[in-house]
Amino acid sequence: MGKVHLHNCLRLKNAQLVSVADSSTKALRFAREAGVKNVQRDYNKLLNDESIDAVIISVPNFLHLECTKDAAEAGKDIFMEKPLARNVVEGEQILSHVKRAGVKLMVGYPSRFREAFTSLRDEIRSGSLGDIQFASATNISSGPFSPRGDMGRPAQVPAWWFKKELMGGGALLDLGVHAINLFRWYFGDVTGVKSYLGYRFNMDFEDHAVCFLKFKDGPIATVNVGWFSKDPRVSIELYGTVKHRSLVRSPPGALSMITEDIGRKFGKIGRSMERYYRELQYFVECVSSDTSPSPNGEEGLLDLKIISMGYKNAFNLTPNR
Amino acid sequence: MSLVSFVRAGESNTGSLKTAILKSLDLVQFNFKIDSKKVVIKPNLCYYHDYSTGETTDPKFVSALIDVLRDHLTSDPDIFVVESDASAMKCKHVFKMLGYEKMAKEKGITLVNLSKEENTNAEVKTGQKYFKFRIPQIIRESDLLVNVPKIKYQLGVKITCALKNIYGCNAYQKKYVYHKDLSEAIVSINKLIKSNLVVVDGIIVTGTRTRKLGLVMASEDPVAIDAAASNILGFNPKSVKHITLAAREGIGNMQFVQRGERPASIKNLFPRRTMKNKIRRFLASAYLRYVR
Repeated sequence: MGKVHLHNCLRLKNAQLVSVADSSTKALRFAREAGVKNVQRDYNKLLNDESIDAVIISVPNFLHLECTKDAAEAGKDIFMEKPLARNVVEGEQILSHVKRAGVKLMVGYPSRFREAFTSLRDEIRSGSLGDIQFASATNISSGPFSPRGDMGRPAQVPAWWFKKELMGGGALLDLGVHAINLFRWYFGDVTGVKSYLGYRFNMDFEDHAVCFLKFKDGPIATVNVGWFSKDPRVSIELYGTVKHRSLVRSPPGALSMITEDIGRKFGKIGRSMERYYRELQYFVECVSSDTSPSPNGEEGLLDLKIISMGYKNAFNLTPNR
Repeated sequence: MSLVSFVRAGESNTGSLKTAILKSLDLVQFNFKIDSKKVVIKPNLCYYHDYSTGETTDPKFVSALIDVLRDHLTSDPDIFVVESDASAMKCKHVFKMLGYEKMAKEKGITLVNLSKEENTNAEVKTGQKYFKFRIPQIIRESDLLVNVPKIKYQLGVKITCALKNIYGCNAYQKKYVYHKDLSEAIVSINKLIKSNLVVVDGIIVTGTRTRKLGLVMASEDPVAIDAAASNILGFNPKSVKHITLAAREGIGNMQFVQRGERPASIKNLFPRRTMKNKIRRFLASAYLRYVR
């Protein structure tokens, strides 16, 4: 995700990308080649730079707390990749650091900036679908185990993706958090959570899950997430008393990727990157106008609390083999 | 000419797989080296995709094969199931994720990461090209090396089966270095490592689409098996560079006598790609390889 944010940052019209910090030499080389002059191995150097107003934190889950604490203490406004933290306790610590320092914290939920999903919210609010009785969100892919490339070469899945203690959870945390946040944005407060957790890959974290959410003034929703499929798919279904809505999004094919890549060389954002660009643009607007961003840290924490309830009220399925 | 057997397994449970494997070995008149002390089984565990995708060998299939071997070898042999780390895959994760750790425990066999084993450098020439490989000692010392590949379509080399699976015996992790001359590299390593038996897990086959075929194939000749696998996927074996090259280098014979169910009956399940599709894939692959 760091590369996506770097690419979008360079195209922001209301902000200037000053510096990039990463412990990896390859990542720094990538940033330099993308046109960033000031690259650092130690992020504290970046935090000490007074000309910097805000930071984007795109690091593995187990580093969220440490990085946010340091950035908040340095007085930087923060855009943090989801999930807010590995668990509720860490999430609360993050919020306390942010509040103490009086800085802004936005959590990256790109679905909130996806036009099709924002239109759905407008439809729900307008009443054109009637009362929504059932809602369903599905997010299926190979997740962290999707084949990766690095400068045209196949690359290993980073080691932290195989360790529950470093991730904080499995597919429910990684993918479910998107749908839970989106549904809360659509329907409001959650009053009950139950889930089924599956272990197809024999690891100590769930690689697929079905989570049931009961909303206080709204529908019963199911969130289906999984890291088991080579055929990635994101979909939302809403069943209302007047109308139903169904949205299915598949990732771009090879040719679309090529067209996007070429467009990118000429400064275009590309369809698959638009939502990430919009969320950054919005974050920068919040920083410039001194307004509180949404989704913020409190929302990120609420999502973590729901996931934590999902883990607590879970029925664990046995591994397939 | 080499013998290649084709047997349909009814259900994919260990019992029917065992019966199908045994029948496939009988059809090719495989002569068990009954005094084999060290048996090495090489499945295809190229990535974290599980057996249901058709990309990796099913641990149930290997489990059934182990039963067959134990039934036919006189002394209780040491059985090793081996794989090596690859550019994007690590054995320590793949063994666990794909169910091999569990199977190893149940069967009392040893899983081996070839990249962590003692190995020796070997250099070999194919055509005008030289290749260096790291050949693990455990492979050299095995009395019986059983190659258990999958049948897959792969952009670039068209099909991967027995010959390509041996490529995974190279202990060197960064296998992408061979990608430029992959066909020659596949043939080269097969000149250094010769399996005694190939048993193909064709229960799920990934051609232009993924299909449950319930097929078991066996042969002592990896070239013959690859030629038969090409037929199944709808390719003329003569159009597959590594197969023709392997035959020319004397690794095996492209001509084979088939025993059991004719592969032609399943050939139509994998329709050839349309010209439009081929052009799209070619452009995409050329772009990703040379431009991106």
